[in-house]
Amino acid sequence: MNQNVDELIVELRAELIKQLNLEDMLPEGFDENTPLFGEGLGLDSIDSLELVVLLDRNYGIKLKDPKEGRHVFQSIRTMAEYIAKNRQA
Amino acid sequence: MSMSQRVFITGLGIITSIGKNADENLQSLVTGKYGFGSLEVLETVHRDSLSACEIKLEDRALSEQAGVPLHEGFTRTSLLGLISLQEAIQSAGLSPAEVRTSGLISATTTGGIREYETHYYELMDPKLRGDFVRFTDTATSGEHCERMADHVGIKKYLGTISTACSSSANSLMHGAQLIKNNKLDRVICGGTEALSKFTLNGFNALMILDKQHCRPFDSTRSGLNLGEGAAFLVLESEAEVNRKKRTPIAELKGYGNANDAFHQTASSPDGAGAFSAMQLALSSAQLQPEDIDYVNAHGTATENNDLSEGLGMKRLFGPDIPYFSSTKPYTGHTLAAAGSIEAVYCLMAIKHAVIWPNLNYKNMMPELGIQPVTTLRQEMKLKYVLSNSFGFGGNTSSLLLASV
Amino acid sequence: MEEKATYFINGVGIITPQKTFDREVFLSEISQYDKNILTCIAPDFKAYINPIQMRRLSRMLRIGLSAATICLRNSKITMPDGIITATGYGFLDETAKFLKELLEQGEKQLTPTYFMQGTSNALAGLVALTIKCMGYNNTYASKGVGFENALTDTMMQLNENASLNFLIGAYDEAAEIQYNASIRASHFKTEFINNLSLFDTNTKGSIQGEGSAFFMLSGKSSASTLCIMSDMDVVYKPDGRELQDALDNFLATNSLDAEHIDVIINGVSGDVEHDAVTNTLIRSRFENTAQTRFKHLCGEYTTATSFALWLGTSILSRQQVPDIVKVQHWNQPDKLRTILIVNQYMSKSFTFILLKEFVETQ
Repeated sequence: MNQNVDELIVELRAELIKQLNLEDMLPEGFDENTPLFGEGLGLDSIDSLELVVLLDRNYGIKLKDPKEGRHVFQSIRTMAEYIAKNRQA
Repeated sequence: MSMSQRVFITGLGIITSIGKNADENLQSLVTGKYGFGSLEVLETVHRDSLSACEIKLEDRALSEQAGVPLHEGFTRTSLLGLISLQEAIQSAGLSPAEVRTSGLISATTTGGIREYETHYYELMDPKLRGDFVRFTDTATSGEHCERMADHVGIKKYLGTISTACSSSANSLMHGAQLIKNNKLDRVICGGTEALSKFTLNGFNALMILDKQHCRPFDSTRSGLNLGEGAAFLVLESEAEVNRKKRTPIAELKGYGNANDAFHQTASSPDGAGAFSAMQLALSSAQLQPEDIDYVNAHGTATENNDLSEGLGMKRLFGPDIPYFSSTKPYTGHTLAAAGSIEAVYCLMAIKHAVIWPNLNYKNMMPELGIQPVTTLRQEMKLKYVLSNSFGFGGNTSSLLLASV
Repeated sequence: MEEKATYFINGVGIITPQKTFDREVFLSEISQYDKNILTCIAPDFKAYINPIQMRRLSRMLRIGLSAATICLRNSKITMPDGIITATGYGFLDETAKFLKELLEQGEKQLTPTYFMQGTSNALAGLVALTIKCMGYNNTYASKGVGFENALTDTMMQLNENASLNFLIGAYDEAAEIQYNASIRASHFKTEFINNLSLFDTNTKGSIQGEGSAFFMLSGKSSASTLCIMSDMDVVYKPDGRELQDALDNFLATNSLDAEHIDVIINGVSGDVEHDAVTNTLIRSRFENTAQTRFKHLCGEYTTATSFALWLGTSILSRQQVPDIVKVQHWNQPDKLRTILIVNQYMSKSFTFILLKEFVETQ
C-alpha cells in the first residue's frame, strides 16, 4: 500500500482522535505540525504507549524502545513521515 | 497515632518463588537464591520472551499444601493466601478459639482473574455447565478473603484492601488501627497475588517489564520483574501479649499512608509521596530519621520508581541515608502481596541481625549519588526498620517495624 | 482507649439508576427498568469534570468522579484529609475489555488504558489526582462489607482526630461479565421483571444494580451538616442466634428500644430466601415500626449500603419520606429523629447503621 505522507496525515488525524478520545478537545488551529506532547495537545506517557500500539496494529511497525517514540511522535507529520519510511505492509 | 495500645507481631507465614514457607525463604535470602526464571506453570504466549519469579508448584500441589480439595474452586491466589495464613496461625501458636476471635485483613489486585482468563468464554455463557462453574464468583478481590476466612474459621471482622502495590502494607495498617481502637485484640493481616496473563500483559503494555533480571537503583535498570506469593502476619494487642506471656517477634510501631497525586501510574519525579509516607511513619512512632537502621525499599527497578523513591529518601534522611536495599530481585514484584512479604523479610532481618543485599546492583544512579547494600551484611543490630510500598493510583505506604 | 467521636455527615454526592444527582428532587421522578439490569442516570459530566481529564475516563470513573465532586461542593470542603473508596467487583467492564482483547488478540498489541482503568483503586487515585489531595488514601474491595470497612476506617481516624474531614465513597457497576457469570449462582432472577414489582416476586435472585455515592464525614459539624451517623456494626455469616444477638447488642449499646426508632430502612433485595431472613429479624424487634426499602430503585450490588446511607441522610435532613420507598402506606410523623438501617448482601453480611437527626445547638 503506497499512501503518501499527506494521505497518512489525514488517516492519522482520524485515528488519533478515535484512539485517544480527542473529539471535544482539539485546540484552536490544531494541525499536522502541532506538537502532540507537552505544549500543544498535551498528551502524556500513557498516550505514547497507545500510539506505540497504533503503529504496530495499523502499520506493522514495532517500536521497541519507548524513548524512540519521542522523536516519532512529535507531531502528526513526523508520525506520517516515519510510517511512510518504515511500514511493513 | 494515639498513646494507646501498642501493636505486636506474634506470628508470620510466607510463600514466594524463593520458598514455600518461612524457613525456605530465609535460607534463600541468606544464600542469594532468587526466583527469577522462565515461566513454566503459567500458560502464556510470552513464555519464551518474558520471565518472572514464579512459584514452581501447580495448583494441585498448592491445594495439597493448603489441605483443601483441588476441585472446590479455590483460586491460586486464595491457595497461596491460605498456605501462608495457616503458617502464620501456627507460628503465633493461636488456639482455635483465638483464631475465631481474630479479624482477617487481606489484599490482592487480581483475585481470581487467572481462573477467569482460563475459563472466560465458558463463564460468559449462562447455558454451559461444567467444572469451571466453581469459579463463577471469583472475579472480585474480596472473594479470596471470604474463602480463607471460612476455611480457618474467622468471621469476626473481614476486609480486603486493593490499592495496587501498597495493598498489604495498608492491610497491616488497618489491622493495627483496629487493635488500637479496641475493636479487636488480634488481626491477621497480609496479602496474596498469583501471576496471570492479565497482569503479565498489562504490565507489558505499560512497557515497564524488564526481560532481564531486574536491577533496582542501578543506573541501567530498565523495568520490573513480576512475581507471585503471599504473606500474613499476626498482629496482637499489648494486653494480649502480656496475658499470654509470649515474646513477640517485633512491634509494628508506626505507619504512614499518603498519596502522590501526580499521575495514575507514575510517581512524582521529586518523590513527594514517598517522602510523605515515610515521614508520617516516623512521626506516628515519634522517631527521627536518624533512628532508622535500615530501609527495605519498594525498589521495583522501574526508571520512575527508583528515582522517585531515592529522591524521597534523600529528602527525608539528608546526607545520612541509612542502609537500604530492595529485595525484589529475589521475589519479583508481587504486587498486592509485596507489602506483607517485605515486612516478613524485615522481621527476619531484625531477628537474625542481617541486612539483605540488593542483588544485581552495579552502577550508581547519578541523580541520587547513593548506593544500596550489595552483599549480605551480618551482625547488624537493627532496632528500627522502614518498609516502603508504593503503587498505581499514587498510593504510598510505609511501615515502621521495631525490635523487641 | 480512644474516645468515640461523633460522626457528622457533612455532604453527599450520589449517582444511581434514579435521578439522585440532583438535589432539587428527592425520588419524585422514578425510573423503571424491565430487563433486570439497572444502570445509572448520569448528569452532564462536563459540569463536574474538565474535558481534558474526561477523555481517558471510563463510564464508571466519570460517574464516581462526578459523585465525589458533587459531595465536595455540597460539603464546601475543597481539600479533605483523606479519601477512602469501596467496591465489590471493581471496574469489571474495563477489566473485561482488557481480558477480551487479551484473549482475542492472543496477548499481542494490547493497549494499557483498560488495564489501568480496571484497578480497584483507580477512583480513589483519580479523585486525589484531581484535587491534588496527598492525604490518606485507601480502597476496600471486600464484597458485601467493603463500604462498611471504609466507614470503620474513617470512624477510627476521626476518633483520633475529630477535626479531620474524610471523603468516603462507594462504587459498583452493573457489569455484563458479572451478570453473565453470577446468574448461575442465583444472584439475579432468571425471569424479567419490572423493578418496581421486585418485592411482589416469590423467586430467587435480585436485579442487578449499580451506583456511586460519596459522603463527607467529620468529627466536627459544619454549616452543611445533614445528619449524624451514631454507630455501625457488621455481622458476617451469622449462625443460629448470632444475627439476633448482634441486633440486640447493637440496640443495647445504643440504649435503644423499638419506640426510639422512627423509620427502618430495610435492605431486602427481592430474593425470596434472603428476604425471609432479614424480614424475620426486623419483625423480631420492630413489628410496628414504619419501614422503607430501596433495592427496587437501585438494584442489588455489594456496596448498596451506601444508597441506604444516602436515603437515611436525606430523610433526616429533609424531614421527608418519599412514598416510593415506603413499605405499605404509613403516615409520616411530625418529627423524624432516628433511623436504623438494616442492610444485607446475599444473607452473608448484615449491616446495622444508626442515624440521628442533627440539631444545631447554640
